[in-house]
Amino acid sequence: MSDLLILVAHATKLALLALLAGIVWRGRARLCWSFAAYLPATLLGNVLVSLWPTTFYTSWFWVLKQATYDTLKVAIALELAWRVFSAFPGAARTAGRVILALLVLSTVALGFLTPGSSYNTVWDWQPRVATAALWLLTATALLVVWYQVPVHEWQRAIMLGLAPYLVVFVALLDLLKRRGWAFREPIEALGTIAFLCVVLFWNWAAWRGGAPGPAGPAAGA
Amino acid sequence: MLELALSTVGCVLLCYTLGRYNRAVTLQRWQFVLNAPEREAIESLRQRMQLDSALARQAFETASRAREGDRHPDALTILRVALSILEDAGADRLTRLRAMGVYSRMVQAIQPLPAPSAKPFRGAQLRAAASAAGLVHRFLVGAEERFRLWLLVLGLGVRIVLRGGRRSAEAAARAPHRRRPWGAFARGMDDFDALDSSHLTAFEALVASLSAVDRGDRLRLWEQIAGGSR
Repeated sequence: MSDLLILVAHATKLALLALLAGIVWRGRARLCWSFAAYLPATLLGNVLVSLWPTTFYTSWFWVLKQATYDTLKVAIALELAWRVFSAFPGAARTAGRVILALLVLSTVALGFLTPGSSYNTVWDWQPRVATAALWLLTATALLVVWYQVPVHEWQRAIMLGLAPYLVVFVALLDLLKRRGWAFREPIEALGTIAFLCVVLFWNWAAWRGGAPGPAGPAAGA
Repeated sequence: MLELALSTVGCVLLCYTLGRYNRAVTLQRWQFVLNAPEREAIESLRQRMQLDSALARQAFETASRAREGDRHPDALTILRVALSILEDAGADRLTRLRAMGVYSRMVQAIQPLPAPSAKPFRGAQLRAAASAAGLVHRFLVGAEERFRLWLLVLGLGVRIVLRGGRRSAEAAARAPHRRRPWGAFARGMDDFDALDSSHLTAFEALVASLSAVDRGDRLRLWEQIAGGSR
């Protein structure tokens, strides 16, 4: 691992710790438990790789770590959709259909059109997983606006942070595929910097004060 | 490359929609939906429409009298006042139609409306638009889609009437002695009243759909929306 990569990894660690403290302190964790689980998972991955690189800066660990992150990203998208639409049966029905269609489509793309997942074919399967997670978030966002469903600022911030990061991630994998393994280190550094930026954005969103809600209908009744 | 294109499109859509999203406005809309003033809202709208119509008609009749008395500059000035009243009323109707479109997506089921018809209208364009909408209405299945078609026709109708009113006022200014622009303006005002009547019917259907939700359910839903997500 290069010095730059280690430096960025340590900075990300600190930012992740601050973010974890922020979501617990501000009571944001209950708004998306999958995200609350995603943060310690990324922190653990970061700690293991940066403190014990000889054991964990390896291809098998990268695949394991990435599979965990991917599962949690899809879980975040599904949980956000569930939390946002659960109070609105009409919108929830449509959201359920759209999300099911996206899941079926992604499963077909991953199961039948993608070669087996391994470190050497990372650019074949990883972008598809990331794109599937991103489109789950996009479908939720579009339905939120279509049905005018209220979304908490923190849930909005999660989506607004995760989506651009996933695009950067897919773009970097595309770059890796074109340039080959010789460019792994700079591409990895760019990916880590992008993640640090997202974590800093989430920190800002987690620590700032919540928007006050208007008075309920009972007040005007 | 396909994944990169797809994810970029998805990200742009997400950032655009959520970037423009305003939680406070959304909560206010839900507060209105769950606490709709029902009868008061309908009555208030009916009064406003009657007032707009009375003001525009009074201005138009005064302008007509001035024209008959050969006071053409005065007639044109007052005709423009009538047009400005219609324009203000039209802007109000268009704003409400947009809001009704938003609210129609927030209710679970909407009260059905009859198919749009050309019968109440006098203008050729408006009659053609209403007839076409009546045809499209038959191919739509859901009450929500049909309701939105109504809103679309009403919005289009208001724009057609206002454009016709502007043209008539310009034609009257060019040739003050001709009767035709004045007749066209009068027909436009009749059409505006007919549109208002349909507007009120659509509003009543929406308010009835909003009030169909049980009061206790409304309060629970509001608690869930505003209380639970705060």
